[in-house]
Amino acid sequence: MLHTKIIDSKKEKILISNAEKFIKDSKFGASIYFLGTVRNINDNKTVTGITYDTHDEMVIKSFEEIYYEADQKLDIKDKAVFIEHAKGHLNLGEVSIIIAVACKHRDQAYLLSRFIIEEIKKRSPIWKKENYENEESEWLKGNPIMGKQV
Amino acid sequence: MKIKLELFGASRDFSDKDHIEIEIEGKASLDDLRNEIIKYLDKNFKGNENFIKIVKSSAFCSENNEIISDNYKIINDQKISIIPPIGGG
Repeated sequence: MLHTKIIDSKKEKILISNAEKFIKDSKFGASIYFLGTVRNINDNKTVTGITYDTHDEMVIKSFEEIYYEADQKLDIKDKAVFIEHAKGHLNLGEVSIIIAVACKHRDQAYLLSRFIIEEIKKRSPIWKKENYENEESEWLKGNPIMGKQV
Repeated sequence: MKIKLELFGASRDFSDKDHIEIEIEGKASLDDLRNEIIKYLDKNFKGNENFIKIVKSSAFCSENNEIISDNYKIINDQKISIIPPIGGG
């Protein structure tokens, strides 16, 4: 069971309550909510916010691929996964990503949550532009995208 | 052929719009497109080295949302996205 969405920060917010509704099921004994939030300092610079850019179709495709790969690599068949990522400007402390997972047992839930965020970092086309207190801004250096080529 | 190059991440600084148009003569590979983008940057940004670095370190994505390799053949007018190094979360 999978839910994925890009949240346009101009129109809505990422809400933990939506994730809770989606993954809640009495067949699962372990739930983990991972939140990524905007931090105030990076590389000794005072950050005032982050603007996220996304290639929406490819991001959603990568979330789906990661979910199905978890079946094969981690062998966790019975699970609920809720992934949302923000795009647009976020202020300090605001939620940029939520990964909520529910599994039968806690060891599966920890493994799955970590697997998803690490794969998103490697494969999902998302970019961050940091905004600083002197009204300057900078695109963060990322890593070349990994994945299949045609 | 006309390529609509959709801009993402750091490459958004290449234009005020969300894309640039690149003209390529005859059949071309992705490598040829990369060279044409660099020519565009030479012309419009006096060869801005940071911009050229972005192009060289980027992947590219087809209209079908697939990452394309350097020997991908471009045979029609099409939309291609530039995918600079990523870092979400």
